[in-house]
Amino acid sequence: MSAFILRRLLLAIPTLVGVLIIAFLLLYVAPGDPVMAMVGERADEETIARLRAELRLDDPLPVQFGHYVAGIAKGDLGRSYITNRPIRRDIVERFPKTLQLAGAAMLLATICGVTLGVLSARNPGGPIDRFGLALAYLGISFPPSGFGGARYLVLPALALGMRSIAFLARMTRSAMLDSLGADYVRTARAKGLRERSVVARHALRNALIPIITVLGLDFGAYLTGSILTETIFSWPGIGRYVVNAIARRDLPAIQGSVLFLSAVFVLVNLITDLAYAKADPRVTYS
Amino acid sequence: MRRSLALLLPFLAIGCGGGGGGTERRTLVDSRDNYDPRSLDPALSTDVPTGRAVAYLFDGLTRFTPDARVIPALATSWETSPDGLTYTFHLRRGVTFTDGTPFVARQVLASWQRVLDPKVRGGRGWPLYPVLGAKEYADGKSTTLQGLSAPNDSTVVVVLKEPFAIFPKLLAMPVASVAPERVPEGFGEHPIGTGPWKLVEWKHDDYLLFAPNERYWGGRPRADSLKARIIAEPSTAVAEFQSGNVDVLQIPQGEIADWQEDTERRKLLASTPSLELVYVAINTTRGPLADVRVRQALNYAVDRRRIVRNLIAGRGELAAGVIPSSLPGSDKARVGFAFDTTRARQLLREAGYPNGIDLELWTSTNPIYVRIAETLQAYLKLSGVRVKVVQRESAAAREAARKGRADLFIKDWYADYPDAENFLYPLLHSANKGVGGNVSFYANAQFDSLVTLARREPDEAKRIALYTQADQIAFRDAPMIFLWFYSELYAVQPWLRGFQPPVIFNGQPWTTVTTTAATNGKLASRQEQP
Repeated sequence: MSAFILRRLLLAIPTLVGVLIIAFLLLYVAPGDPVMAMVGERADEETIARLRAELRLDDPLPVQFGHYVAGIAKGDLGRSYITNRPIRRDIVERFPKTLQLAGAAMLLATICGVTLGVLSARNPGGPIDRFGLALAYLGISFPPSGFGGARYLVLPALALGMRSIAFLARMTRSAMLDSLGADYVRTARAKGLRERSVVARHALRNALIPIITVLGLDFGAYLTGSILTETIFSWPGIGRYVVNAIARRDLPAIQGSVLFLSAVFVLVNLITDLAYAKADPRVTYS
Repeated sequence: MRRSLALLLPFLAIGCGGGGGGTERRTLVDSRDNYDPRSLDPALSTDVPTGRAVAYLFDGLTRFTPDARVIPALATSWETSPDGLTYTFHLRRGVTFTDGTPFVARQVLASWQRVLDPKVRGGRGWPLYPVLGAKEYADGKSTTLQGLSAPNDSTVVVVLKEPFAIFPKLLAMPVASVAPERVPEGFGEHPIGTGPWKLVEWKHDDYLLFAPNERYWGGRPRADSLKARIIAEPSTAVAEFQSGNVDVLQIPQGEIADWQEDTERRKLLASTPSLELVYVAINTTRGPLADVRVRQALNYAVDRRRIVRNLIAGRGELAAGVIPSSLPGSDKARVGFAFDTTRARQLLREAGYPNGIDLELWTSTNPIYVRIAETLQAYLKLSGVRVKVVQRESAAAREAARKGRADLFIKDWYADYPDAENFLYPLLHSANKGVGGNVSFYANAQFDSLVTLARREPDEAKRIALYTQADQIAFRDAPMIFLWFYSELYAVQPWLRGFQPPVIFNGQPWTTVTTTAATNGKLASRQEQP
């Protein structure tokens, strides 16, 4: 197991290097100049040239990339061009807020989605199933938008998690329908187990794999910045940070956060894979 | 199941939700900032949220009142030499920084030097460029600032490169604020100033919290604290205002009509004379646009009156030139271009384009500008001008215009200081082509010399006359489609006392603003319930 984790972590390095190169190149291809954002509406050519030199923006690309990678290797994400603050500190300050929001959204999604899915599967075509279906349609077609300006955690978390609730409910329902019709469930019932135990221990456990997949993917997506939700609810998380950085072409801030978020994404995927093994004893990693 | 239903209920009921935040409080809450300040270091104040916060924490030698007069601040008075080159500022005595350090003249010198220092990476030295040797210092060509000296602790002598009568107005800009002589590492996060407020807490992308500077020379602010909330989404700011959670709201341009037509909400409105010009820069160097007749044709082709009425509910004063009517120098008798497609077509024909022309109109993705752009496109088509609207994210659109790649570019311009020079010089003087602000790439020697003369003219009446003449030339040459001066609309909670919307963005220090406890909070949320 630990060998597996180690291998996966090592494999993450080339992934992150790839991300680094692509993010770096994309930013230099994209129009927009960080210096223009720094100087504001009124400036002069000399100031711009001076700032470009100061930020080493005129160095050849490979040299700039070299500088950047050298910094990263030392664990230094650099300083923001615009604010002059260390990027690492900015990320450390904002990521907990994103984590909190993503965590709340996932918690809501898991509780509501799985419950709704299980109940729907218990009685297909029944009122709960139909309510769940309607909600799922509604939820999936829901843009992660805002309604009202309240800043409580529950609203943004709902806005964010709504899609997951819908998706999870449908996913759980179909997986549960499969497993509720399976032989082992019939056997469990035949043994005289209580229905609750049949559903929770035998059926649900076997339906967990697709649920974990959805949870893992969505959690990864939420953690890497729920830009719209954070903007609308004035949530000071990493999504807004990245958007601001992009608007101002703050290259080190964009690169630093992309790198960090990619690492988070890789990590969440790894945890998801480990969870498979936990849920299904037939899955082993070596 | 019960649990998930209970959780869903608030979601279904959100439309009618008030935030319920308006309990008794004596904190003033602002909602105008829509992104996090760059820093709280005056030397880095190149954007509006930064400049606003810097103005709370620091003072300049002069400052703006809410109605945009320039009054003494850290300088109590000043004299100008007869040749207009030397300014002697007499400094206020007995002022201390929030860390207890007394305020003296050499801090002024050090602060301005920092603004110009290439290492500080501020990028906004231009308000100080009139000082002798400042540009050379900023460009790294000199290590001393010739024009600045402090003969004693309470006097600053500034020698200018050439006479510049409005110089004291520029000193009220945030970037010219006075900071301690040596700024510690992390100063941008932990500022020390002489201003009316001091920083308590800065939650990035969330809010800035200020407490009164008890020893403020201008009198302690009357409220207990001031919170500048950072709200990215305009509709969220509106919702927060309606819930009573913020005291002041800048009404989004797209929502003006809703507010003006609502009898309850209308009572809360306040506005300022406008120092914001909305216009379409015409790149006078590109193809047919080099011909003044074509540029005039574009002006005749557009029914601005109608656009103002329909898109911004009448809140624009039609522009005839670049000087707003609230500033001396504007010619109120001048009649702007009227909507006249026949005249527009005729001018195009005379210019040699009987079959019309094709142009690209660049705009940022700001929804109100996109709507204006699409409306202009429709109008221009009536006169045979086929326009392709190019939408780009704002930094990209601005860069294209600055590099001269856009035929037409829709933009606005806010005054940094209340003077006609702040429109004429950056927007249209040939010295400022491209990055300087003149994205029309307009160059007219006569215009240039009038503006240059005006900048040097010490006599106010003569200066204003020169402004008017220059503006007349620009109007005739039409280097832009003159649209309108937008008049900012505010909503102010009924429990707020003494708040006057500022004409210049950093002109409201909130020192005399209070809340009345009796009507605090709940009232407006009740009013707003449907």
